[in-house]
Amino acid sequence: MMDKGKEPAWLQAVKTWARVNSICAIHYNTGSCNGCDIETLDALTPRYDIERLGIKLQGSPRHADVLLATGPVTLQSADRLVRIYEQMPEPKFVVAIGACALTGGVFHGSYSVIGGIDKILPVDAFIPGCPPRPEAIIHGLVQLMEKLKKGEPADLAEAGGTE
Amino acid sequence: MKENRLNLTESLEKAEALLSPWIGEFTRPDDHRLDAIVAAADLVPAVTALVEAHWGYLAAITGIDRPAERDEDGVPQGEDEIEAIYTFCWGPAIASLRVRVPYSNLMIPTVCDLIPSASFYERELMEMYGVVVENTPNPERLMLPDIWPEGVYPLRKSFKGLHEPNPRGS
Amino acid sequence: MKKITDEKFIVPIGPQHPALKEPGHFEFTVDGEIVTSATARLGYAHRGIEKAVEGHNWAQNLYILERICGICSHTHATNYCLGVEKLAGVQVPPRANAIRIILSEMERIHSHMLWWGVAAHEGGFDTLFMYTWRDRETVLNLLEELSGNRVHYSANVLGGVKFDITPEQKEKVYTGIDFLEERTRRYLKIMTEDETFLQRTRGIGVMTREQAKRLGAVGPTARASGVFRDVRIDSPYIGYENYLPQIITDMAGDLEARFTVRVRELFESFRIIREVLDHMPESELKVKMPRKIPAGNVITRVEAPRGECFYYIESNGSDKPERIKVRTPTLPNWGSVLATSAGHKLADMPMILVGIDPCFSCNDRAVVLNKEDEENTWQWKDLRQYGINYYK
Repeated sequence: MMDKGKEPAWLQAVKTWARVNSICAIHYNTGSCNGCDIETLDALTPRYDIERLGIKLQGSPRHADVLLATGPVTLQSADRLVRIYEQMPEPKFVVAIGACALTGGVFHGSYSVIGGIDKILPVDAFIPGCPPRPEAIIHGLVQLMEKLKKGEPADLAEAGGTE
Repeated sequence: MKENRLNLTESLEKAEALLSPWIGEFTRPDDHRLDAIVAAADLVPAVTALVEAHWGYLAAITGIDRPAERDEDGVPQGEDEIEAIYTFCWGPAIASLRVRVPYSNLMIPTVCDLIPSASFYERELMEMYGVVVENTPNPERLMLPDIWPEGVYPLRKSFKGLHEPNPRGS
Repeated sequence: MKKITDEKFIVPIGPQHPALKEPGHFEFTVDGEIVTSATARLGYAHRGIEKAVEGHNWAQNLYILERICGICSHTHATNYCLGVEKLAGVQVPPRANAIRIILSEMERIHSHMLWWGVAAHEGGFDTLFMYTWRDRETVLNLLEELSGNRVHYSANVLGGVKFDITPEQKEKVYTGIDFLEERTRRYLKIMTEDETFLQRTRGIGVMTREQAKRLGAVGPTARASGVFRDVRIDSPYIGYENYLPQIITDMAGDLEARFTVRVRELFESFRIIREVLDHMPESELKVKMPRKIPAGNVITRVEAPRGECFYYIESNGSDKPERIKVRTPTLPNWGSVLATSAGHKLADMPMILVGIDPCFSCNDRAVVLNKEDEENTWQWKDLRQYGINYYK
């Protein structure tokens, strides 16, 4: 295999094109009230249909590029969230959906809640709302796709790497 | 195949009649509610009486921290206690059995032999308040995370957060 | 709690799952194909709400309690308001109660439709999932029309409701309900006549009446086993005594019964919404509430889409509560799952778990079944596919 830096431009372009146009997403609920989860699921249903954008939900972290995470990260879920993230192959991205995933939402300050996914994982896209409408979720995912399109392979590797 | 239901007044009177051998004090906080103060030692016979007569179902076991009043120097004026309220519902009638146990002896007998579904409620009582429910079939944690430290009971008034004091004041 | 012998295997079904509901962890002890026992590990969504509400004032708590669950948020808000209004001794105006009823029933509709979709998805019937969720958009549109949000409508304020229903909105609700009623009839037909669907639901997960009573089941799960429990009828609140729903029960106690009870309940919901709209009382929308609630305690119960939701609220006379205890309907129903799962095949587990309409759902992780020297790793997809293939 060639070094990443030495790959020809056409190969990088093909990879980016494939990455952007067929996102495999996995969803994990870190303790949310389900509102964001049902709006995410709603995005799959015929009215919004994110499959036409190439975004499909997968069952296993090993098959996924993007982690859609909701919820304020309860203490019990934190460890599982990190494990799921670690099981995803590179390059990988995280999208935090909903007010709870951004800051803890109404549960900010509770003894059992870490409050915000970006406290334990690097997040690439934040989608606010309580819950965000499916349109907002699609908008956030499209922003992520735009970011992927523009990024150089080196940037992509950095963006998705774990610290 | 509707159950043979009594009307509200009759239901509450029946509950009083079933519970009277063990009850210290009855009150009616509302027209459809009956409150009964019962000692921990009498809890199981009282619950047995209700269950055998098919008086409703156990809706919840509510725990409440009742720390004693403190004077200006912080000296407690009585014993700190935990109250557990066993609430039974039958149609519109609600009967609550209130049990108080002091911090010095936080033991309540299990009712799981009579009501298996009480296990979840008892587990919550134990992990949130530190009450020991004797002979409960499953003493494992229900809600608190695996990493939660032993001996820390979040719903006690004295609990102010795991690390620093909570700026939101819980 | 766990006994690992040479013959029995424990199948963990863990908190991450493609069916996208709340996380929870279950362990099924299996002997070959048959499940012999089951245990649950909940707590993945424990957010310390009962402690948090003690630190916020009565008005703020409304917003915290609403977000216990996205699917039954109006139920929690209504239950809380009922309790606090009772403690404060205020009488809510009749129009506010009517609006509360309309939203409660619309929430029931949205919740049941959501559930059919997810349950069908668990059974491998993705087409039904897509159809019901598409139709569910109708009720979500109506809710958005009335309240401004599809989920978490925040209709309640302490003392009444926030918004009114205009005549134009009323017309839209009537049209929407007519459409939904016709679709619900179709779904009822599918659920009672489709052969493959019936194979996954008829006779599976049977819970007898005595078991349901003993295990303390509530809501449609209990009603599907012939237990007459419905808080709207037993202990009417917010004006339900004027629009009493008929109790819908089924004696079979199996999964099919749990499906059909929920579908038939919706016809009652449609009827109630129409009746309330036809006879909307004229009055203000809210009354003033004191900032400090008088000391005392109150118990309120409300029929959430999943069953009886129980609140115990105690006030110490200040502007913050002394104690709010919330017992949601799914908690007593878990016992019924753990008890009825024994004796069934592993492939039926997803349907049985979803049959109670859990608000903490069980979910997936890779499963390693050690059979002598072979090692076999199963994904949730495999488990479901296995279930689908088994019934072919």
